[in-house]
Order: sequence, then structure tokens, then C-alpha cells
Amino acid sequence: MACHRGWSLYLLSLLLPLLSPAAPISPAEPISQAYSLALYMQKNTSTLLQTYLQYQGSPFSDPGFSAPELQLSSLPPAAVSFRIWHALDDVERLSRGQEAFLALSQHLQLVGDDQSDLNPGSPILLAQLATARLRAQGLLGNMAAIMTALGLPIPPEEDTLGLVPFGASAFERKCRGYIVTREYGHWTDRAVRDLALLKAKYPA
Amino acid sequence: MMDVSLCWRPPAWTVGEKRMRTAPTLRRLLSALTLLHVMVQVNSQKRGALRDLKCTTNNLQVWDCAWKAPLGAGHGTVNEVCIDDRLHSCYPLEKGNVKIPALPPGDHEVIVNYLHGFNGSSAKFILNEQNVSLIPNTPEILTLSADFSTSTLYLTWDDRSCAFAHHSKVTWEIKVLRTPRMELVNVVTYNTTLHGRDTVHYWRWTSDLPLQCATHYVGIRCYLDHLHFAGPKEWSAWSPLMNISWAPESEAKAFPQDKVVLVGSNITFCCVSQTKVLSGQIGKTFYPLIHLYGQNVAIHIQNISVSENSGTNVVFMIEDNVCGTVVFAGYPPDVPQKLNCETHDLKDIICNWNPGRPTGLVGPRNTNYTLLDSFSGKSVTFKRFETLTNESYQLLFQMPPHQEIYNLTLTARNPLGQSESAILVNITERVCPHTPTSLKVKDINSTVVTLSWHLPGNFARINLVCQIEIWKPNSKQELNITIKGVENSSYLVVVDKLNPYTTYTFRIRCSTEPFWKWSKWSSGKRHLTTEAIPSKGPDTWREWSSDGRNLIIYWKPLPISEANGKILSYNVSCSSHEEVQSMSEILDPQHRAELQLVKDDYIISVVAKNSAGPSPPSRIASMEIPNDDLTVEQAVGLGKKIRLTWPPDPNVTCDYVIKWCNSSRSEPCLMDWKKVPSNSTEAVIESDQFRPGVRYNFFLYGCRSQGYQLLRSIIGYIEELAPIVAPNFTVEDTSADSILVRWEDIPVEELRGFLRGYLFYFQKGERDTPKMRSLETGHSDIKVKNITDTSQKTLRIADLQGKTSYRLVLRAYTDGGLGPEKSMFVVTKENSVGLIIAILIPVAVAVIVGVVTSTLCYRKREWIKETFYPDIPNPENCKALQFQKSVCEGSNALKTLEMNPCTPNDVEVLETRSIIPKIEDTEIISPVAERPEEISEAEPENHVVVSYCPPIIEEEIANPAADDAGGASQVVYIDVQSMCQPQARPEDEQDIDPIVGAGYKPQMRLPINSAVEETAAENDADSTAGYRPQANVNTWNLVSPDSPRSTDSNSEIVSFGSPCSVNSRQFLIPPKDDDSPKSNGGAWSFTNFFQNKPND
Repeated sequence: MACHRGWSLYLLSLLLPLLSPAAPISPAEPISQAYSLALYMQKNTSTLLQTYLQYQGSPFSDPGFSAPELQLSSLPPAAVSFRIWHALDDVERLSRGQEAFLALSQHLQLVGDDQSDLNPGSPILLAQLATARLRAQGLLGNMAAIMTALGLPIPPEEDTLGLVPFGASAFERKCRGYIVTREYGHWTDRAVRDLALLKAKYPA
Repeated sequence: MMDVSLCWRPPAWTVGEKRMRTAPTLRRLLSALTLLHVMVQVNSQKRGALRDLKCTTNNLQVWDCAWKAPLGAGHGTVNEVCIDDRLHSCYPLEKGNVKIPALPPGDHEVIVNYLHGFNGSSAKFILNEQNVSLIPNTPEILTLSADFSTSTLYLTWDDRSCAFAHHSKVTWEIKVLRTPRMELVNVVTYNTTLHGRDTVHYWRWTSDLPLQCATHYVGIRCYLDHLHFAGPKEWSAWSPLMNISWAPESEAKAFPQDKVVLVGSNITFCCVSQTKVLSGQIGKTFYPLIHLYGQNVAIHIQNISVSENSGTNVVFMIEDNVCGTVVFAGYPPDVPQKLNCETHDLKDIICNWNPGRPTGLVGPRNTNYTLLDSFSGKSVTFKRFETLTNESYQLLFQMPPHQEIYNLTLTARNPLGQSESAILVNITERVCPHTPTSLKVKDINSTVVTLSWHLPGNFARINLVCQIEIWKPNSKQELNITIKGVENSSYLVVVDKLNPYTTYTFRIRCSTEPFWKWSKWSSGKRHLTTEAIPSKGPDTWREWSSDGRNLIIYWKPLPISEANGKILSYNVSCSSHEEVQSMSEILDPQHRAELQLVKDDYIISVVAKNSAGPSPPSRIASMEIPNDDLTVEQAVGLGKKIRLTWPPDPNVTCDYVIKWCNSSRSEPCLMDWKKVPSNSTEAVIESDQFRPGVRYNFFLYGCRSQGYQLLRSIIGYIEELAPIVAPNFTVEDTSADSILVRWEDIPVEELRGFLRGYLFYFQKGERDTPKMRSLETGHSDIKVKNITDTSQKTLRIADLQGKTSYRLVLRAYTDGGLGPEKSMFVVTKENSVGLIIAILIPVAVAVIVGVVTSTLCYRKREWIKETFYPDIPNPENCKALQFQKSVCEGSNALKTLEMNPCTPNDVEVLETRSIIPKIEDTEIISPVAERPEEISEAEPENHVVVSYCPPIIEEEIANPAADDAGGASQVVYIDVQSMCQPQARPEDEQDIDPIVGAGYKPQMRLPINSAVEETAAENDADSTAGYRPQANVNTWNLVSPDSPRSTDSNSEIVSFGSPCSVNSRQFLIPPKDDDSPKSNGGAWSFTNFFQNKPND
């Protein structure tokens, strides 16, 4: 729990540049900060996925469970062909990441709500989901800072979830949560690569 | 938008309710066609027989008969049917049947007239009600609907088809069919009674297979049991089937979804899919697939086990996809256990219970609880998502005003069922008050305070019983009080009988009447009560100063229980009969005052004052009444106490005072005092200051009207110990057979008890004889005298032997034990008569021999002259020189030691630790000594005493405290000149100049060979004062380059000689040198000698 609190403080410090009046600053610093955050997130994504699956019962909790064919239409998949990915320019790269993490943060909230119905007595899982959401929002803020520093327009926040299918069955919720936590990991991996590329492009 | 585009496609099933909305006429026609026919036996006429005559009715009003025309009769030839009744009514024949109003019971002849064909022929038959079948109209399904989530079908229909038959019973039969093979899944019968109105009936059925999995069809028919109809009754035709189906989506889906089932039940899951389903599993277990229709499959599980929190997953694997659902298997709620309701404040009722067996269901499926009071109709609900573990559940129920009795029912509900438990309580008997708060203490006076506190709640209708705990140092008190409850929660009580100026800690807890539970204790409140005037004056005593002019007043500080506050000062005043003379104020830490008094008859009063005021005065008379017959008594205590007793004295009117002090202190001495009432005759004195072995003086004073009189003086010990020193004693006089010993008193401090006597030991013996040490072993030669008269200071010991060394030991003893010993060695004088005889006889013999010799010599003088004086006497004839000669010759017969009859001498080698030599020879001018243990060569100042003449008196002072210590001092006194004047010399005469005492120097005057003397004088200038060997030193020097002489020049070793003059425990010449000094090899020296000497 202490590490969570510490993390919140870290996030706060990362978000602080956003709050200050827009000033032409070097993109290197926000890129570096975002890169550090993404790296940090990367270390915990598999834990989140494993914790999540562990609470969903068999076959989700079975060792080696994987269902790559499951996708959510409301969540852009992180998988992209290398050629396309490499051809992306900075704006596209950043805006796709932003779009994904905006969707992810909203979906993580949804999954958290789902799990408080299905696993109300599992504070560990609920806390990890909440933390992941907070981190996604943090990375979102960092990306916005990079775009500001690069002089790019920040895309408006969208409601990616739209009309929530509240009537989703428990199984659909479990699958939905699986996809979200899985994609959270994939998108974090992709963000690390994106930011590493940017970092190399804008050295400090 | 947000749809889970799972691989199983969106359900495309639609509810296909294909209702048959046919027109009523057509329906009636159809029903008529499908009626069951009963063959009626017709008595056909001779002219032609009617075939297959059937009569039915569906409303009991009209009979409908149909038949086939007789053979030969052409179609449409019949024109009327006549019934042979009273009216003889005829009915035109319509088609193949005829509707006849219902006929009364009995047989009726029916004539069928054919107009054509048979030329006006007719047929006849007998018709009876019993031959008419009652077949109700086909019932009609009004609606068929389904709740897919619960797999329930809802069917409605009305009884219009049978409405005519009032009060008749109708049996309905409903059948459910299922695709794909239209198998009959369920048939049920349903009984109703007709009421004449058009009633709609409902029927509900839950399918074990989810309704989504297959299309379900429902049909209905009925059977009318009309009591007054005599004919046969038959089932109606089945209604048209209605169906319920699920519009399948493109995505595969599994059903039922999120169903909550009882643990152990059997359940079927299906997957509605457009593509082939490969497998089905529940949790980890795979089940065989049951194919429904199309690609839809089902699996069936029996005896499902309890699910984990997120439910049991049911998953069907489809080609390139999955479909799944979750089932929650759990238990209905257990009966709430240990339901208990009480109140803290008579405002809210708090009910606790234990949920019992876990249901296995959480989240929205978790048990919710409703607490209902049936008297007031109020209820509260408890709902939580997560299951509380090991925690009792609690609900708060707000009490309606003025209601005391509650009938509370707690109902537990979850999707699988409900249970309840109830309790009837009178809430005023179930009050466990809150913890009292805001405890405050207020002073009223020094012994009374008020306590106020806050107890939340409205207790206006009941009494409170509160317990007040009052702590003061070292004690605790509990006070139970009953108070009328109030509405505003504030309470106040008075607590009295407290002690002034005392710190109390109060705390409180409350319960109600009748008792149910105590509240928790409030937090403690410390309070110091106010001061009151001291209850007594201080305990006072007075002492006159040693010069008798000043009176010193002493008083003891008041104990806290009597001081009643902080004593600030004392007022001391003295008054005589006439006036109050003086008054002085002494501030607190001082507890004495010195008054200069003109007279000795005053009353002194001492008053202690605190902030509340002065104490009553304590008075004491200054006068000391003399007592002439005062004796000093002795007392010994027990433990730390000492008991003093005295005879009752009627003159003592006020009290007795015992004062005591350490006897070694100077006067006036006062350690403490104690007052005892005048009627007592004993007192036990106890003090932490008492130490064992210390003498105390106790003085008993009696108080009379004029003043105090010293009645007794007692010296005492708390515990007697043995003396720590031995008495100093000296030998006053010595004779040949007696010794007179005198000793001194031991100081009181060192005596450590009452002196009970002395033990005097004496024993023949020299110093340093080991057996001397043991006095207690009771050797026969040790004589003991026990001197119990402690005033005796001298002792004459008689019957001793003359010229004998005696060891004398003196010890003092108390009841605490024997003190240390002090010993002394004394040599008795020679017997003077024997001495005289011993002198006179040789003298007489010598005179006689002289006379005889002189006479002979005179008569033979010529012969003698010729014989003895012809020449210079031949030295070879001189026997006296024989020794020297043999030495000169290097003979191995070194007989010097044997042949020279020497007086035995002592060689004493004594070690000292101090720089100043403690041991010295006052008689020998040149002390020859060394410290063999410490120094090998240096420090010629440290000497060894070599006594030359036998000692006359030796004194040994034993130090008991350090018997074996290295510092044991031994003193040897050698007095050669005053051999006839033996005397003990104290050991501290050590600063006598040894040179001053130069006396006996026999070796110095020895005639020395002149040749040797010359060389010795040159080399040994320093050593001339030293001892000269009687033997010719040269003889050694010649053979040994390391002889003592060679080292003499360094002043390290003083030459020493004449082995024959030494009576030593060690041979001066080491054994190896037995034959000749030559063989010594030069290693022979006194240094070596002392170094080689063992520690004895």
C-alpha cells in the first residue's frame, strides 16, 4: 500500500508540468518522464493480468490461459504490423497511444466496477485495477505534455465506451476484463517502444 | 458501439410466435370436423338403414347428429328429419347432419324422410341422451410468452369454450413440445371449476433446458365433467400449437446466463451457435455434448458444487471461438443465529446476529437482511456485497417513541431462498449504556466533591445504576449509586468522606435497572482535594544543649494523613506560667529550633501551618527533672527491633518518651525518639538506621506535670558482633617462672558488642613454628585462661620454665563471637641459682687446678724449663693452628664447621614490602641484608638481618585480618649486651638509627692475617664495616675469581664469612661444593645463596 501512495506522489509530480502555464519547453523532458513511467508500468502489467485471471475461475485461472481471438470493438488493438508502425509519424504515434490509453483508462474503470460485483471480497484485485487505471491516466497526461512540447494539438477526450452494455453477462464481463488487462499490457509495451523512439529522436 | 464482438455472433434468434389467427366460423367448422364421433346404434327401418349415425353436443343445448345416407339414397334427397315427440316437429335436413335441440331424457324416435330416391321413403332411429357425446369446444390459447432469463413459459387461455357448464369441473391438459423432433417434453393437467364467466387461466412452466436453446411449442385441450349430462364425455381437440423461439444472433451464446442455483442441483447449459461446437466444459471438467438442433448443443451437469466468488464458468469451444456463461451455485441463507438486540441509549436498537453457514454467493447475490418490527411495522434492511468473515452482522433500528416491547423478525434472503429468526424484547431491560464521557470533578470542600458526567441517551423512563471507582494511593473504593435517568444525558452526584489534600482518581460506569450490562469504564479523572488544617500538632521533643543554656526543639514532619496539605511553616513559642515569651516561625524543611531560655521551666508549643491554617499546638515542657538513682542497663535487640521494658510508674502522667542515639556521637545526641502512652510498660523500637555492631544509647523519659525525668539509660545493640580488634597487651614483668601481662580496653566502636571476657592462651614455642597458628585445635600444650571479669586488666602466668620462649595470645569476646588474636613471644629469665652454681663450680675447679699446677710447676721448674723452654716453640706442635694448616694444604677435610664448638646463631632473612625496612638489627652496626625475592643484585639498602646471637625476646603480633598476607610483619629483637634485661620492644621503633645502636661487633675485632688484611683494606674500603669471615678469605679468593670478594668492590654483595658462625636452615656452602671451595667454579656468592633460598 505504501508503494501505491508513493506512486501517487510520483504521478502528481509527473502531472505537475501539465498544470503549469503552457510554456515552450524541450520535449526531451516530458518524453523522458513518459518513458520512465511506461517502463515502470511495463513491470506490473503481467502481474495485473495474472491477478485478474486468478480471480476469474477456471478456465481463466488455468495455467497458460490465453485467448488472443477475444477482442473488444471499443478498444483499439495494440497489435500492428511493424511496417505500418514504423511508418507512423510522431503525431500519429502519439495520438494513437493517447487514444488507446484514454480507452484503457475508461475500460479499466468499467472492469473495476464489474469486478466489484463478481469479486467484492478481493481488495488486491480491485486495488491493482485502480492503480492500473491511475497509471494509464498518468501516461495519458505525459503524452499530452509531449504533444504540448512538440507544439501539437491535443486531441479532445472522447467517450470511447459510449453506451455501456450494462446487461453484459458475467462471462462477458470476465472476458471483457481479460481483454482490457491484456491490452493494457500490450499497449504499455507499445508505448515503451514508441517513447523510446521519440526519446532517441529528441535527445536531452 | 460497445458490443462484445465475441466470436460467438450476436444472437439472431427471434421469438417467432406464429399465432393462428383464424376466424371464429372457420374455427367452429374445424372443431366440428375434428370432433370425436360416437357411433349411435340406430334401429334402421326396413326400407333403408342409416349408416354411421353420430350425435354429439358441445353445449348441451343442441345435439348435432350426422350419418351417412343408406345405400341407394342419392345425395340431397333427404328433406326433413322429424322427431316423434308430442309436437312431432320436423327439422329440415342440412347437408349430412342435423342440429336438434336437446331432447328430454328418454328414447325418441327420429324419422328421416327422403323426398327423392326411394319415392318418399323414410328411415327411423331411436335417439337417447345417453347416446350423445359431450365434446367441449377446442380451447383457445390467449398468449404464450417466455422469460428467457429464467427459462419460464407463461401461458394464458380462457374457458369461454366451456362457459355454458356452470359449476362444472374442467380438466385442462397442456403439452410442451420441443424441437427438433417435436418431442413431448412435458404434459400437465390443470383442474378448474367453471363459474359461468369468461375466466382467463394462467399457467407457468420452467424448462430445464434454457428456452434459448430450442423452440418450444405448447398446445392445450380440455375435458368437461358435467354432472347432469348422462352421455359420454370426451376430451376436446388440441388447440393449435403456439411456439416460443429465440432469435439467434450471429455470435454464439451460452445459456442460461448468470443463473444462481442451489448446490447439488442438476442443470443443463446450451450453446446457441451457427458453427460447430467442439467441446463443452464446466470449470476444468469436460462434459459430453448433447446435440439439439442445428449447431446448438447442450451439456448437462448433475450435483453442481459450490462456486467460487466469481461463479463457475461454463465454456463451449467453437471452431475459432468460444462461448460461455457463468453459473453461481450456492446455498440459501442459513437461519440467522444468536440474534440479539439491545440498545445503548433507548433511541436505537442494535441487533447483532451470526449469519451461520456461508451461502457461497457474493456481490448482488449476497444475502440481504431485513429487520421488521411487527408491532410498529417498521423495517430496516442490511445489504452488503462482500461477505463478512468472522464478523457478526449488525443492524440499527430506530426506536419509535414510547414503544418498549418489540417483536423483531430478521429475514435473510438471497436468490435461492430465505430464512428468518425472531426475537421478542422489552427494550428497557436490554440497555447497555454508552461509555460515560466528560467526567468532571468539582470541589465543595476538602472532603466533598461533585462528579458530573455525560451519558448519551434518553433514560428518562428508567433508573440508572452507576458505579464510581475511587482510587487513592494504595487503596481503591467502589461506590454504587442509583440515579433517575434524565433526558438530557447529564448526571451529577456528590461524593463525600474524602481525605483532604489527596489525589483521587475517579472513573465511572453505568448500567440500568433491571441490570443487563455494564457500560465500559469512563476514562479516569484525577483530582486533588483541597487542603484542610492539619489535624494534629507535630510530634515534638526537646534537648538541652550541652552547656545547658539553649533548648533545642525537635519535631517530626506530620504524616500526609495528618498534614492535610502542604506544610508551609511551623510556629514555635514558649511560655512560662506568666507570659507567652517568644514566637518564631520556622519554614518547612527545617524541623528544629533553638531557643535561648532564661529559666528552665517553660512550655514549648509547636504549631504546623498549611495554607488552610494552623494545626492544634503540640506542647512539651522544657524542664528536666533530675534522677539520682540512675543505672545504665544493657539490652540487645532482635532483628531490626529492640524491646525495652520498664516497671509502671504512677508518677508518669503524660507519656513516656524513648530517645536514642549512637553512643559514639557527642552530646547532645539525638537520632530519633518515640512517644508511648503513659500506661504502657514496654516499647519496641524499630528504625532503619539501626546497624548491627553499633552501640546505641536509649533513654527513657517519663513525662510528669512539671517536665520530663530521665528514668532509665540503656545501652544496647540491635545485634552483637565479634570485636574487630584484639586487646593491646604488654608484658609487665618476667621472671624465671612467671610472666605478668597487662592489657588495655578495646574502644567501643571496635568492640561491637558487650564485652563478655578475654581468652588468654600461652604455649611454649618459638616464633614461626607452624603449629603455633592453631589455637582452637586444643593442643595439650596450649593453656587457656578464660577471663570473664571484664574489669581485670592484668594476668600473672605462673609455673613457667625458666629461659623458655613462650607464645602469648590474647583475644576478647562478646556474645557476637571471638575477636581476633594478638600474640607475643616472651622468653622467661634464667634461673639465677643454677646460674650461680654454674659459674662457681668451674671457677672453683679452675682455682684448684691452678693451685695444683702452680705447685707442680714450682717443684719441677727445672725439668719444665728444659722441656718447654729450651727454644722457640715448634709451631707444628701447636694444635691450635692445625685447622689453618689443613686449609692451607687444601685438604678435603674442611672440618671447621664440625670442630668449632660455636654457639648456634640465627640467620634470618626477612622480606619487606615497604621502602623503609621494617626489619632491622639494632645491634649489628652493619646490616647485611638483601631482598632476595624482589631484587637480584641492586638495592643494597634492603638488607637481610643475620642475627648473630640467640634472641632473647621475640614478639609476634599476629594480624588476624591478614594472617597469610605478604605484609605480615615479624620483628626480631636481639639484645646481646643486655641479655639479662629481656624486654619486649614495640615494632614501631623502626626509626632508631642502626648506627646509634652499634654494639656488638665481634668479627670486626677478629685478628686477621696481616697479609690478607692489607689487600682487603685496599679493595674493600666500603666493606670494612661489614662482617668478616672467621676463615681466611684469601683461601677462597685464591680459587674462585667470582668469589664474594671479587664482587665486593661493587658494593653489591657484602662479604660474609665464617660458615661456622651461622646456624642456618640452609648450608652456606652448597652441597655440590662439599669437598672444596675450588669445585664451586666461581658461582658461589651470597647473591646466589639468597636467590637459591626457597620461600620458607
